Amino acid sequence: MNLFQTIFTGSNQAVSAAEGLLKQAIEQKGRDHKVAFPDTAYALPVIYAATGIKITTLGELEGAIGIVKSLIVEELQLTQALNAGLATAVSAEIIEAIKYAMNETPYEAPCAGHISDPIIRSLGVPLVTGDIPGVAVVLGECPDSATAAKVIKDYQSKGLLTFLVGKVIDQAIEGNVKMGLELRVIPLGYDVTSVIHVVSVAIRASLIFGAVEPGKLDKHMEYTKNRVPAFVNAFGPLSELVVSAGAGAIALGFPVITDQVVPEVPTLLLTQKDYDKFVATSLEARGIKIKITELPIPVAFAAAFEGERIRKED
Amino acid sequence: MSDQFISIYQTSEEQLLEKAVQDGVETMWDRKAAMKAPCGFGEKGICCRICAMGPCRISPVAGKGAQRGICGATADVIVARNLARMVAAGTASHSDHARDIAHVMHMASRDGNFKIRDEKKLLDLASEWGVKTEDRDIYEVAHEVAEIALNEFGKPFGTLRFLERAPEKRKKVWDDLQIRPRAIDREIATILHSTHIGCTGDAESLLHMSMRTALADGWGGSMIGTVFSDILYGTPVPRETESNLGVLDEKQVNIILHGHEPSLSEMIVMASLDPEMQKLAKKVGAEGINLAGMCCTGNEVTMRHGVKIAGNFYQQEMAVLTGAVEAVIVDVQCIFPSLVPITECYHTKFITTSPKAKITGATHIEFHEDRALESAKAIVREAIENFKNRKKEKVFIPTEKSSGVVGYSVEAIIKQLDKVVNPHIDPMGTIKPLADVIKAGVLRGAVGIVGCNNPKSKHDYSHIEIMKKMIANDVIVVTTGCAAQAAVKAGLTNKDARKLAGQGLATVCELVDIPPVLHLGSCVDISRIMTIVGEVAKHMDLDNSDLPVAGIAPEWMSEKAVAIANYVVATGIDTFLGITPPVTGSEEVMDIMTNRVEAMTGAKFFIEEDPHVLADKVLSRIEEKRQKLGI
Ligand code: SF4
Ligand code: SF4
Repeated sequence: MNLFQTIFTGSNQAVSAAEGLLKQAIEQKGRDHKVAFPDTAYALPVIYAATGIKITTLGELEGAIGIVKSLIVEELQLTQALNAGLATAVSAEIIEAIKYAMNETPYEAPCAGHISDPIIRSLGVPLVTGDIPGVAVVLGECPDSATAAKVIKDYQSKGLLTFLVGKVIDQAIEGNVKMGLELRVIPLGYDVTSVIHVVSVAIRASLIFGAVEPGKLDKHMEYTKNRVPAFVNAFGPLSELVVSAGAGAIALGFPVITDQVVPEVPTLLLTQKDYDKFVATSLEARGIKIKITELPIPVAFAAAFEGERIRKED
Repeated sequence: MSDQFISIYQTSEEQLLEKAVQDGVETMWDRKAAMKAPCGFGEKGICCRICAMGPCRISPVAGKGAQRGICGATADVIVARNLARMVAAGTASHSDHARDIAHVMHMASRDGNFKIRDEKKLLDLASEWGVKTEDRDIYEVAHEVAEIALNEFGKPFGTLRFLERAPEKRKKVWDDLQIRPRAIDREIATILHSTHIGCTGDAESLLHMSMRTALADGWGGSMIGTVFSDILYGTPVPRETESNLGVLDEKQVNIILHGHEPSLSEMIVMASLDPEMQKLAKKVGAEGINLAGMCCTGNEVTMRHGVKIAGNFYQQEMAVLTGAVEAVIVDVQCIFPSLVPITECYHTKFITTSPKAKITGATHIEFHEDRALESAKAIVREAIENFKNRKKEKVFIPTEKSSGVVGYSVEAIIKQLDKVVNPHIDPMGTIKPLADVIKAGVLRGAVGIVGCNNPKSKHDYSHIEIMKKMIANDVIVVTTGCAAQAAVKAGLTNKDARKLAGQGLATVCELVDIPPVLHLGSCVDISRIMTIVGEVAKHMDLDNSDLPVAGIAPEWMSEKAVAIANYVVATGIDTFLGITPPVTGSEEVMDIMTNRVEAMTGAKFFIEEDPHVLADKVLSRIEEKRQKLGI
């Protein structure tokens, strides 16, 4: 199947999953049942940024499904492929919102799920100063936990903020990766749709720090592309859904690097089969330069340690 | 005039044509009108005057009137024969052009006027051709390589060397069809032989031969022309230029360089930069010397030096009509003999330089390659001294001009592509990024838009409409010849033009830092297009004919264009003609060209005079090819 068709298939799957879940939820709780993520002033942030509409009930989500469907136009051109990717993102937000509507605590440790506004605000300064040089979204399943741990620790040592989605969370735990906000490694959830919680971070950065008006989707995409140095690492077999979510990431300006064979798009969708080069490939793709702190230390300062941040607790 | 006025540069050209009326000058439009309706026999290709029993003409109505010539030749044979001779003439033109350049390389020397500028390209070619390079003087290598090239024109055995550059699968197609050209001149001669009375009487066989001869152009003459020009004058790199008649400057000595061969134009560029010439210009009261190119020679010097482009084929008379041109310096090909009466109405000197293209009434100052710079200076001096004769009251320079980037040789394109290579994954210096975006569908395909101007089409209208439609649909455009000059004039080779492109192409343009329409050079530089397509095919392990690519000649007119179209199809690339060739008198020839040839080469001709319909056909054919590939 050609790449764009794969994306459309994934987007259609995402929207019908969202539609199905919503129908069930409405049957159980009714149209007026409240929908909200905790600790945010931006309702469902992706939908709010894209449309300017704050959704508060399950009933209103039905309208959002309409928006998603209108984004899927199966013409074989990049514009339509990227829009379909956004449709998958919005579908994911709908699915995640329903999780929160149906369950007080849909996410439990180690998974964070939705990220609150205060956390985003606290990330603002280090992102602007470059203290956090980039945001890595690692999703899927690495060939083994050692590989997962190696990649994640490498990001960690370079000061990047890393979000984990899927089986890689367990692999990271197995690989003894220390996690937590202050350690800059945040497991989001096991479902692919939980990746929307990092998209939501990027989008709220645009709303909060970029002061981009809600409803101006183009401007938000411009902001995320130019100002949020995020990228995606997708490991293991890629379902159509993941591919179409990847298109969503690309629409926001975030390159996707995978270990799978895909039709590559220079700088945007890349195959890297050498795990030792995964981090370097990703940083290069997103144009992330790690600030090297010259340290007056009398030991050999090998190139391998470049960018390694010396952490207090070490 | 104005209701049939047919240009997209409404104001300036309309004004110039009005000026022509006032000044009592005849233009091609007057002559076209004087032609009245064209002869239907010639238009359909069913008129033969190959022997003195004729002229013969075949009735266009089957079963009614003459169905055969006196010798018995059918409409099919006559049409195919006429077409084959067009191919031979086109091939001869490009090849003679190339031959001269190879000769120039053979006379290049370290302290001479002609030097080796791109040593790497020469050394690469030397090793491709098995010429020893170690411990040898670069000029010795150059002379040996030049001699080999010169032998390509008439070698008694074997087939052309550059054919080896094609993808393996394409070579197999050529072998199966037995259309690998042997020596260049031999193919031309064979066509002239076979089209003599009483020789080939089979249309398919003639078209077959036409393809072989045309390949001797694309993969022979034209490719030698391009490669050797790059070695001698430098491989083009991206640079800014300006185009349209607005580049003429009232305060300077305006010299139009028109024609094809870069050996002359390169020297004229050098001569005009010479302090002695600059001083002379000041002395006659001008602020300087303003060179402006036209047609392919214009493309050559703009690609390598950023020399401004006055215009394309159709504008050669217009340029003189401005009254501000001191000299039109020409060499060979596509030069209107009407420049004689037109220049006579103004002070403009019309200077021919090549013994291959003398024109009655023009000033002939022969360009001698063995004392090239001196020769060029003599010509430039003639132009400068003519400045004082300019009649101020007759000057009108339109202000229209556009800027754009030119200079996209294959090497330059690959260098741009390196910008998007992730060094942790791929090596630099390959065509892979282009293949990738085509495979992924970000670019739907690529088209080469080439060819001339033709008064049967609104000036540049088809070029521009088709280009716009292509880029809006994420199809990247490479262009050469007068089509390329149309693109520069319309601003499409400007990097800003990416806003007219679809999101896929616009994204590629942004990442790679290129305009959506890439100027690859002159007509012989279509060989650059063949090279790129071949490289992409090789990279994807496919044949050219599998790729979502097409060649388009929206406003073609010359026999060279016919040769080009034939080698493009023989190379496996669909070719869309915006002007109907004189073949409609034979159903058989039409059927072969637009249908049966596909089974032979994997590509065929499309004939469509409506540029919008043509563009739609290109797009759907591209999608068809993608679908076949599953991409
Ligand atoms: S070659 Fe045949 S068709 Fe042509 S002019 Fe002679 S007799 Fe007539
Ligand atoms: S494109 Fe056509 S008109 Fe222009 S220079 Fe080439 S052959 Fe002549």
